[in-house]
Amino acid sequence: MKRDHRWALHIPLGIFLILTMIPFVFAVNNIFRTNSELDHAFFAFPHCLKGLAQIGVDSVTGTERQYLFYDENGRKALGGRDEALPQYWVQLKRGPGLAWSVIRKYMLNSFIVSGLTALGTVLIGSVTAYILSRYRFAGYKYVFMAIISTMMFPGVLTLVPSFLLVKELGLLNTYWAMVFPYIAGGQVFAIFVFKSFFEGLSEDLFGCARIDGAGHFMLYTHIVLPLSKPVFSVVLIMNVLGTWNNFLWPFIVNTEGKHHVIASGLYVLATSPHAANYATLYAAYAISSIPLLLLFVYATKPFISGMTSGAFKA
Amino acid sequence: MPHGENVLLEALPVQARGRTGSRMTAEGTTPRKRPIKQASLAIILALGVWALWPPAPEHDAPGGVDRGDAVEKTETRYVIKFSAGSFFLPDSRPFGLGKPLQGFKRVVRAFEERYPDTRIEFVLVPGNREYLVTQLSSGSAPDVLCVNVEDVWVDVQKDWYIPLDSYLEAPNPFVTEQGDPSLPGAQEWWDLFKYQAISRGKAAPDGNNYCINLDMIETAVFYNKTMFREAGVEPPETWDEFIHVLNVLQDHENPQGEDVIPLLLHLGAFHDWGSDLFFDQLYYDLLPGIDLVQDPVREAYLEGYLDWDELTFLNQKGFFTEQDPRYRELWRIMKELIPYCPRSLTATDFVREFVNQRGAMFWENCSYVYRFHADPNLEFEWGVFYLPRFTTHTSPYASGEPMCVIGGTANQFEVTNSAVGDTDPSLPLAERMQQSERLQRVIAFLQFMTLPENCDTIVNEFPGLLPNIVGVPVHPVLSEFETILKRRYTTTKWIYSYDLKFSDIQYRMLNLYLTGGLTLDDFLGEWQYANVRTAAENSIRRKNPDLDRLETAWQRLAPARQEMNGLPGG
Amino acid sequence: MGCPVAKRGGGADHANPVNHRLWSTATCYGIILPSLVLLFTFVYLPVLWAFSKSLYEFEVGGEARFVGLANYAEFLTGDPATWTSLLNMLFITVFAVCVRLSVPLVVAKLIYMLPSERARYIYRILFLVPIVVPGVAVLLIWNGMIYGDSGLLNETLKAVTDWANGVFGLALPDVRIGWLSDPNTALLALVMIGFPFVGGFEVLIYYAGLSSIPDSVNEAATLEGCVGVRKFFLIDIPLVLSQLKLILILTIIGGVQGFENIFVLTQGGPGFKTMVPGLWMYFNAFSFQRFGYACAIGVCLFVLILSLTIINIKYFKSTEEAQSTP
Repeated sequence: MKRDHRWALHIPLGIFLILTMIPFVFAVNNIFRTNSELDHAFFAFPHCLKGLAQIGVDSVTGTERQYLFYDENGRKALGGRDEALPQYWVQLKRGPGLAWSVIRKYMLNSFIVSGLTALGTVLIGSVTAYILSRYRFAGYKYVFMAIISTMMFPGVLTLVPSFLLVKELGLLNTYWAMVFPYIAGGQVFAIFVFKSFFEGLSEDLFGCARIDGAGHFMLYTHIVLPLSKPVFSVVLIMNVLGTWNNFLWPFIVNTEGKHHVIASGLYVLATSPHAANYATLYAAYAISSIPLLLLFVYATKPFISGMTSGAFKA
Repeated sequence: MPHGENVLLEALPVQARGRTGSRMTAEGTTPRKRPIKQASLAIILALGVWALWPPAPEHDAPGGVDRGDAVEKTETRYVIKFSAGSFFLPDSRPFGLGKPLQGFKRVVRAFEERYPDTRIEFVLVPGNREYLVTQLSSGSAPDVLCVNVEDVWVDVQKDWYIPLDSYLEAPNPFVTEQGDPSLPGAQEWWDLFKYQAISRGKAAPDGNNYCINLDMIETAVFYNKTMFREAGVEPPETWDEFIHVLNVLQDHENPQGEDVIPLLLHLGAFHDWGSDLFFDQLYYDLLPGIDLVQDPVREAYLEGYLDWDELTFLNQKGFFTEQDPRYRELWRIMKELIPYCPRSLTATDFVREFVNQRGAMFWENCSYVYRFHADPNLEFEWGVFYLPRFTTHTSPYASGEPMCVIGGTANQFEVTNSAVGDTDPSLPLAERMQQSERLQRVIAFLQFMTLPENCDTIVNEFPGLLPNIVGVPVHPVLSEFETILKRRYTTTKWIYSYDLKFSDIQYRMLNLYLTGGLTLDDFLGEWQYANVRTAAENSIRRKNPDLDRLETAWQRLAPARQEMNGLPGG
Repeated sequence: MGCPVAKRGGGADHANPVNHRLWSTATCYGIILPSLVLLFTFVYLPVLWAFSKSLYEFEVGGEARFVGLANYAEFLTGDPATWTSLLNMLFITVFAVCVRLSVPLVVAKLIYMLPSERARYIYRILFLVPIVVPGVAVLLIWNGMIYGDSGLLNETLKAVTDWANGVFGLALPDVRIGWLSDPNTALLALVMIGFPFVGGFEVLIYYAGLSSIPDSVNEAATLEGCVGVRKFFLIDIPLVLSQLKLILILTIIGGVQGFENIFVLTQGGPGFKTMVPGLWMYFNAFSFQRFGYACAIGVCLFVLILSLTIINIKYFKSTEEAQSTP
């Protein structure tokens, strides 16, 4: 009845999916093709993969034949299995190999920058939010307003002056040039989220703990922290997402190129001499997608559970 | 910096609280699957840490140098940051062909063996002008930069670069230590350089020489000899023959039966080389009347070169404005080539088109020789010729002179103010140069690099550039370019005379004009005339040229201008 | 339970209230000091600098001359790039809004209606795949592979016209063009990147919104026979309005100030066909070294965003009040 028709949903979904995936499928396909292959035809399966598959099939069926492969000088050659097989492997590894050697430091930098930023934001943000939410001290309202009103300032306004500031502080070409501005900006969101969550915590919990003799610090570590795990994960993940793909700021601030993160490093790679080898480029794109992919596979559940845990009130 | 997350809060489902049995349950995984998931996460994290762990950095980063253990024992006092340019970047494979380059690494290693307290780091620096500016102003540029020295000329008054004349006029210590006083370089470092006029001609307008030229580059038109033969045409000698050849090739088909693009030319070539070459063709006759200042240092090579101050002065006298008919001709002729060029002038895969015989001619620099020479699958014969000259049929103002040469020097190494970073920034540059020990090392490295055997190692690793050091052989494939290099040098280099805004606007609007988005009148009237005028005014304000001296020279040359036609204002 | 509610602002020390309050105030400020220092240094200070430096004309390593409001006058009246770039920005933003409010919502609804939980999970993950690829990589893939001269689009068009010519004997012209460099198609090609615009992040957000519709509402709708497309328009969309609002604001803010994609692909060319104010500001600052002028452009954009935000708050507040159901 109703059930019978719902398989049809897969058709439009499937079409959307295929259209979305096409560029990436082609990009991954091109990782294993040589430059001359790419020069001659756009739609084709990588030559070395075809060769390897052929060798695999032939070794099972026991047929002997001559294989067409590109030798070390890039020349087309015919040869038996023993000559062709190593060349196929070399071709297979060439693109990803060179890409990885260039991308590795960028990826490390991305992890360092995003990790430091996320930790710093969560730490500073939660502590500040805790103070703001549960303690009435002179001018606390104004402090909060000052913090929140920074959300009004768009990135374009502060781009040029921030660069000049970072230059004056001598922080250009260091990790701090990226981490400090990110924390300064990201803590606002964290404070907002944490504050509304902390305000929702029942006063009774704190009352009981204080009677038992807990100091402020113990209140924070033993009551607040364990209860706010879902909020922490949400803020952490949102922060990482926000900082990982940021291209412009790292690009501007890393004039020397040693501390490039993935986003800006890819652009540098694409405009460098290494880009003459197309396979390197596509391999670099693919490799640089892996961290976020892992993040999404493993972190979606905590993220969604955090969002729906009742931590958020409009 | 993250934005907009503030509004995320309002959007989150208010009714999400206290919900059960919703489709968004966090309990998606059954208890059996959770340990598997956690185990796989742990494995992946371990793999990630292993993969990312920085290995001994020398071994795998491109541009790193394999160091022996011996050098590790001495403490490193100087770390010289060296931007080697893109031609000989170690571990790169030019055009994706052949083995990764090692030449520069070997030279660097030899230098470090001589000076164990010095380490030279290759730096991969994007070539954009924006980077240069931000690096140099913050004092964090590499010690040695490889950029077109004309870029240096624009900012030479800011003390960002070290003038090298004092070192060039002194002996090269690495030559003198070989004991033979007759060797080039034993008396003066200058004597090591093969193309004296070009190298000396690279002095800045303030008379100082800021760069070391390791090698020479030239452009030419690569053409498909086989296709030319089939179509029955020869490389042209005049512009009219050129247009005829283009027409014939337009109708020609390649062996695969596809249409042929007669001339593969990218926008940068129009904007940079084209504008200079055509300018020279159209203004050559006027030079006796408009070449106001002759520089004794550079004039040996740069006959009649017009610097930015001369261009500025001429602009005030009406040149390069609505009153100047020759300037209009320049751009009109450029458009003539467009019907024979590719649809997209900014595409970067013209090599692919040429190699697949979809393009018949390809104007590029001589390093592309390697691309075709080393390509094992090339199915046609190729050759080079140089751009033919204009005739009076092309334009009434054509001089009939052979097309002059652009380019010249390829890798130009400049020393930046970072090299004197070990001295007090408040001192004047001359004093800092005297005091700095670091600068001595940097200069020593450049002197070492210009020894014949080292230049050979670097430049001749693949046939692409012509070495500029005496005694270094030239690859036979490049012999035609040696001939081309003997031509007369260009009259001016527009986009290096003025600031970046000038060349940015010209590039943009030229793009629009050539692709049909603007008419010639609009391109000139709405954009280019104003562009030149603004750039000239800005340069007066920023650099304070001596306009009186130019005015005197202008008056002095008035009789020479009597006979000339096509001057602004008739 | 019986635990007395403790007084806020500290322990139960009543001995010296004033000193204690001072001490606790000082401690509080001390604890939140890192936060405030960072905020001031990296947010407020640049903002103040932006306003003040926009009144000067200065370049890197050079002199600074006070020019008052001349930069603003030049931007608003004397710069030929201004109005073109503002129009381009408007087009890009409107297009993005149309596309991001519609397609992901439809896809989220389709996924929501699937019967099996596994299928829903798989689709949600699969649509996330384009997000994990760094933005720069996506742009470069589209530039090189799809819009390139021998790229996907041109090769497909060529194949189609060849086939049509062969089968129907037509003489269709060669329609391959340089999509990002032809003045007529550059802007359109730029906004079409990301086709079919199924953003994984938006799908997740809309999906969360759809699943937060209480089961009682769904059951009531089914009982009343309001299903399918009618239900979608009459019930689903009003109830996910807050999600729509979120995406709307994110898209508008992104559209007004974002220029990374244009920077990587066309740098505003050909001519000024794809120029936007943000990119023009970047060029003025880092290429032409006119930092004062660039700050002036930044301030103008800020005023624009501020007015949009104020409009948004006023408008949406009123709709929310009208909408709130007891």
